[in-house]
Amino acid sequence: MIEVAGLTKAYGDRLAVDGISFSVDKGEIVGFLGPNGAGKTTTMRVLTGYVSPTSGTARVAGFDVQEAPIEMKRRIGYLPEHPPLYREMIVRPFLRFVASIRGVPRKEIDARVDRAIERCGLQQVAGRLIGNLSKGFQQRVGLAQAILHEPDVLILDEPTVGLDPSQIREIRQLIKSFAGAHTVILSTHILAEVTMTCNRVLIINEGRIAADETMEVLAARGGRTRRIALRLARAADGTEGQLRAIPGVLDVRREDGQEGVFLVEAEGVRDVREQIAERAVSQGWGLLEMRAVTLSLEDIFIRIIQGEAA
Amino acid sequence: MRNVLAIAWREIRTYFTSPLAYVIIGTFLALSGYIFWAHLVRFSELCLRFGSNPYFLNQLNVNDMVIRPLFGSLGIIFLLMIPVVSMRLFAEEKKSGTAELLFTCPVTTGQVILGKFLGAAFLLLVMIGVTLSYPLVILASNASPDMKPTLVGYLGVLLMGLSFLGLGLLISSMTENQIIAAVGAFGASLAFWILPWVADSATVTLASLMNSMTFGLWEKLHLGVGGPTLGDLLNKLSFIDHLKDFQKGLLDTEHIVFYLSVVFLSLFLTQRVVDSQRWRG
Repeated sequence: MIEVAGLTKAYGDRLAVDGISFSVDKGEIVGFLGPNGAGKTTTMRVLTGYVSPTSGTARVAGFDVQEAPIEMKRRIGYLPEHPPLYREMIVRPFLRFVASIRGVPRKEIDARVDRAIERCGLQQVAGRLIGNLSKGFQQRVGLAQAILHEPDVLILDEPTVGLDPSQIREIRQLIKSFAGAHTVILSTHILAEVTMTCNRVLIINEGRIAADETMEVLAARGGRTRRIALRLARAADGTEGQLRAIPGVLDVRREDGQEGVFLVEAEGVRDVREQIAERAVSQGWGLLEMRAVTLSLEDIFIRIIQGEAA
Repeated sequence: MRNVLAIAWREIRTYFTSPLAYVIIGTFLALSGYIFWAHLVRFSELCLRFGSNPYFLNQLNVNDMVIRPLFGSLGIIFLLMIPVVSMRLFAEEKKSGTAELLFTCPVTTGQVILGKFLGAAFLLLVMIGVTLSYPLVILASNASPDMKPTLVGYLGVLLMGLSFLGLGLLISSMTENQIIAAVGAFGASLAFWILPWVADSATVTLASLMNSMTFGLWEKLHLGVGGPTLGDLLNKLSFIDHLKDFQKGLLDTEHIVFYLSVVFLSLFLTQRVVDSQRWRG
């Protein structure tokens, strides 16, 4: 559905997107994840034809974004980061306007608008001025304008930003309901969002793709290294060095602020807990606690962003 | 075409569902109405004073003394007010982010521009249309103005208004600040208005400049003689000069072509500007 090859976008000297390539299959929900300024929005703007790429190609729904922009735009729905709403318009006329410029046949406009209003839960505000709506409802109007022509590809830039927790849940449910029939790309800097809605994640950092994996593979990365938390009653100055000497231990850190707590990083293939326990007994450190810490997605994300091998 | 009309219709809705259209039309009518009334009062006073004198009676003409000056005044009011109509056309879309909606919909840049221009032109048409009541008021009285030259005058004012609108749209596409768009449009319109002020001296200045640059050859070879001078060119570019014939009731294709060319060129340049912004981001 979406094929991107060597896409680069430069703003003056600054490379916002630096030669990224990826492809998305029909029916997938893909999350773009990355810190602010990583190039997520720029990538989406290229995919929607709003900005032209400096080099590289992008095909959306089978049409090149530069060679057949109109055909391509017929098949996408787009919700930018700031919902593009005419504040002085009423919700229903606004949706009718968008339907007509999105190429919905005249006879179907009313039915499609009604359906979008229903799906996005806008019935009670359909007759109100957009400018007077709350942020949550404005976001939903933005979503309604993106889906009302039943696009093949739905591109959502930070769809849950600025919403309260219950609204976030509703929007996520809504996005999930598009899976299968529509291909969805959404960007976010919130990890939980990706975990809950997407089946694949593209981590973008400084204009490049840092990781492109399904959720399962990403979660499995957490098992490749192990972290062990230790609490010792009588830790000595040489304790760290002695722990490091154990085969399989990669790194040892003292936890700040907590007396006698150490974080040990070890290779995933070897279980070093037994050796640590033996060492603690033989040296008389007074082992109070030892537990395995699994890496959260958050940790994996930060490691990938910082360019470490997770 | 459907896209163009949809965009034009939305533009018209925005003007008329906000106070903007009413403030603009109201101010325009108040000013032009006052000017019309002032001319009319002066005319009737002259009629009363000199009506008994058959020589003067022939000189008294409602077309020349009331309607023709009205067109000149309408032109000046347009010069001041059309930048306000045109300033928001693109600047507001860019500021509020709705440009991102328009340009990711399956519509071409040309359709967006044409739609916006037609939407604003409709407001202009309403403004002018209401002032048609002025000559009709005279028609209803005993005086009988000649309606044909009057309508030609209206056509001229409309064409000039459309030219201002085109320039304003172009400037609006270059910025996301509405005030800059308004000031820029006013400056550009006024510049075209006052170009002929320097027409004569520009010809002389250019000739002496060319003469000194070519060590006197310019004058010896009579290079500057014959053909249009720079002054002629500046005169031809003046918005107000092209209105003069319309005011007299003369329909000359030269002037129609001039105003339509300004409109066409403005819309074309707007399209270039908007497209180039997508390259630069």
